[in-house]
Amino acid sequence: MINRKLAKVLSFRYKILAIIFLVLAGGLVVLPKYEKQEGIQPEALLKNAVSSERYITTDELADLIINQDPSFILIDVREEESYKKYSLPNSINIPLDKLLSEDSNSFLNQDQFDVILFSNDHFYADQAWLICNRLDYNHIRVLKGGLNAWFNTIINPEKPSENQSVIASELYSFRKAASMYFGVAYPDEFKAKPVVKIIPKKKVIPKKKKKKMPVEGGC
Amino acid sequence: MGPLIPNDIISHEWSYIIAILIGLAFGYILEASGFSSSRKLAGVFYGYDFVVLKVFFTAALVSVIGILYMDYLGYLDFNSLYVHPTFLWGAIIGGAIMGIGFVSGGFCPGTSLCAVAIGKIDAMVFVGGILIGIFIFSELISFFEPIYSGYYFGNVTLVDSLGISPYWFVFIFTIIAIIAFIVVDIIRKRNKKIFYN
Repeated sequence: MINRKLAKVLSFRYKILAIIFLVLAGGLVVLPKYEKQEGIQPEALLKNAVSSERYITTDELADLIINQDPSFILIDVREEESYKKYSLPNSINIPLDKLLSEDSNSFLNQDQFDVILFSNDHFYADQAWLICNRLDYNHIRVLKGGLNAWFNTIINPEKPSENQSVIASELYSFRKAASMYFGVAYPDEFKAKPVVKIIPKKKVIPKKKKKKMPVEGGC
Repeated sequence: MGPLIPNDIISHEWSYIIAILIGLAFGYILEASGFSSSRKLAGVFYGYDFVVLKVFFTAALVSVIGILYMDYLGYLDFNSLYVHPTFLWGAIIGGAIMGIGFVSGGFCPGTSLCAVAIGKIDAMVFVGGILIGIFIFSELISFFEPIYSGYYFGNVTLVDSLGISPYWFVFIFTIIAIIAFIVVDIIRKRNKKIFYN
């Protein structure tokens, strides 16, 4: 009796399997969709965040600029006004609030160049870095200390005192040279010219004879 | 969580051992479903046996539905699975040559080895043919190179190139499969039933 019943059910086995298939496949279509987390995993983001590779120092950046390294793009994430007042040479302005616009996407989401973000300090640049990393963009770095550090180290380097190490003075001379590259003038670099007293000579002023000017033609 | 090996849940060293185990299971199931008979395999071309079509269609459906559910539930990252790259003309020409070999020899490469394992002489001849083919291809590789590595489309899937949701694609694919099963059953019933030894 049981076997007969089983045989009856089993005679429909292919139909049953087909229905199971349809239900499962249809279930995929009907299932409520949810936004999947795309981009980088939290663990990888944390790893990038604590990595020292994330920052570039002002000295390294100055070296890159002076050597005309073609492998990086400078991106200023401050407001447009501040960018117009002063920014690093050849930098591109992408204010933080326009970071996700399509125009900026082509600069940030690419594998060809290293992108160096900077702001006045590195606070805004760090925020931009975080967003870029979250979107899984590669080769994004932050200028450590931002433009403030740039001024304090490259444009206006502090002169080391005499009892400091050789490295400090070497660093100073590098920074000084770099600042000169960026257009800072040092008064002590100009050699004072010996003052020569000029004795005024008696000048004979020849009388100029008035010449008749030729008539200029044309209009 | 998954895939297990790329996510280091199972270390890379195990991959060959797992491959051997999967290979053994695959070969066993091929043999057990009668795929070591060239007449059964060639039946799909002559319309008296469609087990090959049914088995492979079903296998593809089971795996794709399973993968999508596991992806949905977060057990498997769909995007980190390996997708075989597409070399369009290489695939078309290679597919045509394999089809000719299949219909004339009665085996596909996997089932031929399976049949060799149970001592079928036609399968041994077939494998000999495969080896000769490999030899000729290797000798003439510089001649075939432009087709072999040209027309590269990257690691694309049908879903990418059609631009539709994978869920809808699988649903439509399932319907097509079921219709195909019904149609081939009708064709098979019109032919005489063949018993294999």
